[in-house]
Amino acid sequence: MPDIAISADLLTKRFGKFTAVDEVSFEIPYGAIFGFLGANGAGKSTTIRMLCGILAPTSGTGKVGGFDVQTQPEEIKGVIGYVSQRFSLYSDLNVAENLTFYGQIYGLEKEALQNRIKDVLTLTGLDRFRQRLAGDLSGGMKQKLAIANAILHEPRIIFLDEPTAGLDPLSRRAIWELLYQLAEGGTSLFVTTHYMEEAERCNTIAFISDGKLLKIGQPAVLRHELTDQILEVTCQPLMKASRLFLKIEGVRGVTVYGTTLNLNVIDREAVEKRVIAAAGREGIVISSIKPIEASLEDVFADMDSSRRMDA
Amino acid sequence: MCLLIWIRAGEWMRNIWAIAYKEFIHVSRDRRTLMLIIIMPMMQLMIYGYGVNTDVKHLPTYIYDQDRSYLSRRLVNAFTQSDYFSVKAQAVSLPQVYSALDRGLAQSALVIPPDFAANLTKKKTGLVQLLIDGTDSTPANVALNSSQAIINAFMQNEKLIPVQVLPVDFRPRLWYNPDLKSTYFMLPGLIGLVLQFMIPMITATAIVREKERGNIEQLLVTPIKPYELILGKIIPYIAIGIFISFSILTTMHFLFVVPIHGSIITLFFLTLVFLIVCLGIGLWASTVADNQQQASQMVMFFAMPSFLLSGFIFPRESMPVWVSDIGYFIPMTYFLKIVRGIVLKGLGFFDLIDQVWPLALMAFLVIVFSIRRFSKRMA
Repeated sequence: MPDIAISADLLTKRFGKFTAVDEVSFEIPYGAIFGFLGANGAGKSTTIRMLCGILAPTSGTGKVGGFDVQTQPEEIKGVIGYVSQRFSLYSDLNVAENLTFYGQIYGLEKEALQNRIKDVLTLTGLDRFRQRLAGDLSGGMKQKLAIANAILHEPRIIFLDEPTAGLDPLSRRAIWELLYQLAEGGTSLFVTTHYMEEAERCNTIAFISDGKLLKIGQPAVLRHELTDQILEVTCQPLMKASRLFLKIEGVRGVTVYGTTLNLNVIDREAVEKRVIAAAGREGIVISSIKPIEASLEDVFADMDSSRRMDA
Repeated sequence: MCLLIWIRAGEWMRNIWAIAYKEFIHVSRDRRTLMLIIIMPMMQLMIYGYGVNTDVKHLPTYIYDQDRSYLSRRLVNAFTQSDYFSVKAQAVSLPQVYSALDRGLAQSALVIPPDFAANLTKKKTGLVQLLIDGTDSTPANVALNSSQAIINAFMQNEKLIPVQVLPVDFRPRLWYNPDLKSTYFMLPGLIGLVLQFMIPMITATAIVREKERGNIEQLLVTPIKPYELILGKIIPYIAIGIFISFSILTTMHFLFVVPIHGSIITLFFLTLVFLIVCLGIGLWASTVADNQQQASQMVMFFAMPSFLLSGFIFPRESMPVWVSDIGYFIPMTYFLKIVRGIVLKGLGFFDLIDQVWPLALMAFLVIVFSIRRFSKRMA
C-alpha cells in the first residue's frame, strides 16, 4: 500500500523490566494529521524515537516511508522531518546559517539549497529574520524556524513533538495553519500535543497510556462514543457537590468547568435520579441538570478513569 | 564502482565540512573561548618566561664584617662579584642578621668574625660563617654549592693554598643550554602544558554543549553518522591547537630568544600527534559528562597529574620510582621530551622514536576508544 506513510504493527519497547511501549499498532496515510495524545511518560516520545529510527524496537514492526524501523533506520532519517519538543537548533547561529547547515547535511547544495531556504522562509514568514540569531527569536518564531528546518529537504513525513507547547494562542494558530498547508500538499504529520482543541484539528487521534494504545479514531467518532454519558450539572456549593457526586454509584469521574460540573456516567437516567436525591439530602441546590455532547477532554478523562478502575 | 566510492566519500566529506564550518562560527561568536585561546598561552608565556624563574641568582645577602681587614674585604668582594649573591645591607650586629633571615629580608648572610685575617696569618686558618635560609631547598642548594666554589677561588687567588697540579684534568661542559637558562627548559614545554589544559577542555565543552542545549536531538534524526559529527567537530579545535602551538613557538623564539635547533616540520607533525591525544581526552570526557561543568572537572582531573608528573617542572629523575613510573602513562611525558629534544637539542624524528611510538599508540587508542564510546552513546 503506497499511500500509507507510517505504520506500526505490535510495536514494543522494553527497558529492562519496564515496558515503555506495549504492542502499539496504527496506520497513517499520506496527507493526514495524526494526533498522538497521552500524559507525560505515557510512551509518546519512545514511540516517536522508534519511528524516527533512533531507537530500535524490542519487538514488532514499524514502517516509515516504506522503510523498516528495525533494519533501515538510516534510510528513514533521510525521508523524515522532525520538530523536537525543546528548541534544538543553534541559538548562536542565525536563521540562514541554521538552515544552511541542516540543508547541507540533507545533501542540498549551493543554488538548490539557497532557493529552498528562500522557499521555506517565505512559507513560514521568516524571510525578514534571515540574519537574526535563532536565540533572539520569539517562541513562536523559533517553532516556525524549527518547522522550516524540518521541511527543508521536502520530506513527506514529519514528526512534531509538542510543536506548540508554551506558545500564545495566536502563535499556535499560525503554526497549525502551517501544518494544514503541509498536509494539503500530501505530507503526513505525526503530532503530539496536550491541547485538546488541537487534537480536535487532527484527522485521526490516538490515546496512549502506560505504553498501551487505548483508543484510536477520528475525534468526532470518539466523542460520539461517549454521547449519553456526560451530565452537565449546575449547582451550589460546587466543590462540596463535586466530592459528593464522585461517591455516587455509576459516576466515573467529575470535572469542574467554571460554575458547572461535568459528570462522566454509566447509565445516565439512573444516575441522574441518584444525583438529584443525594443533592436534596446534603442541601445542594441544583439549578440545571442535562446531558451534553462529550468533548475530547471528557474522552481523555474517561479513559484515564477506566484505566484506574482496571488497576 | 569507483564512482560510487567517490560519491560516498564526497558525501561524508561534505557532512564533515558542514559541521566543521558551523563549529567555526560557534567559536568565532564565543568571546570567552576566543579570549582563552589568545590570552591563556600568552599569560603562561609571561608567567614562565619572566616570573617563574628557577635560575637562582642574586640571592639577597646581608654582610656582617666584624674584621674590616684587607682580606675580609676581598672575601666580601668575591661574594658580591659572583651572580649568586647580592648584598642587601651591611649588618652591624648578630641580632640584626638573625632578624633579617627570620623576616626574609635576606636569604643568606656572610658573617666574618673580628679575628678572621689575624687567625689566617697566625694560625693558618680563619673562621667564616655563611648562614643560609634552607626553607626553599633549591636556592639553598645553589647557595651552598656556589659559596664553596667562591671560597675555593678566593683561597687560590689570595695564595692561601698552594697551586695544585691535579692528576685528573676534569673539564665539565654544559651542552644544549650552556647558560643554564630556565626559559630554555620551560618555554618549549609550555606548548605541551597549554595544549594539555586547553584542548581537552574546549573540545569537551563544545560537545557537551550540544547535549546540554538539546542540539543533539535534532542531529540524531538527520542522516549524519556519529563519526562524521565527531570529525567535523574536532577540525576547528585541531586548527586552534596548531594556532596555540605556533603562537607559543614564535613568542618564545622572538621575545625570549630561545633558539630552535631542530626541524619545525618534525615538531609540527609530532605536535599533531599530541594534539590528537588531547582531543581524544576531551572527547572521552564529553561522553562521560552530562554538562559543561562536569566535563571541565574531568579534564582537570587529567591535567593535574600531567602538570606534576610529566617532568614539566619537577624532574622525574628525582621522584621515587613508583611515582616516576606513573609518568609513563602520561602523554605529556613523551611530548615534553620530544619538544625539548627538537627545540634545544635539534633531534630528528628517529632520535625521538622511543617517545614517538608510545605517543602515537596513545593517540590511536584514545581516539578509537572515544569515537566508539561516543557512537554508542549517541545511538
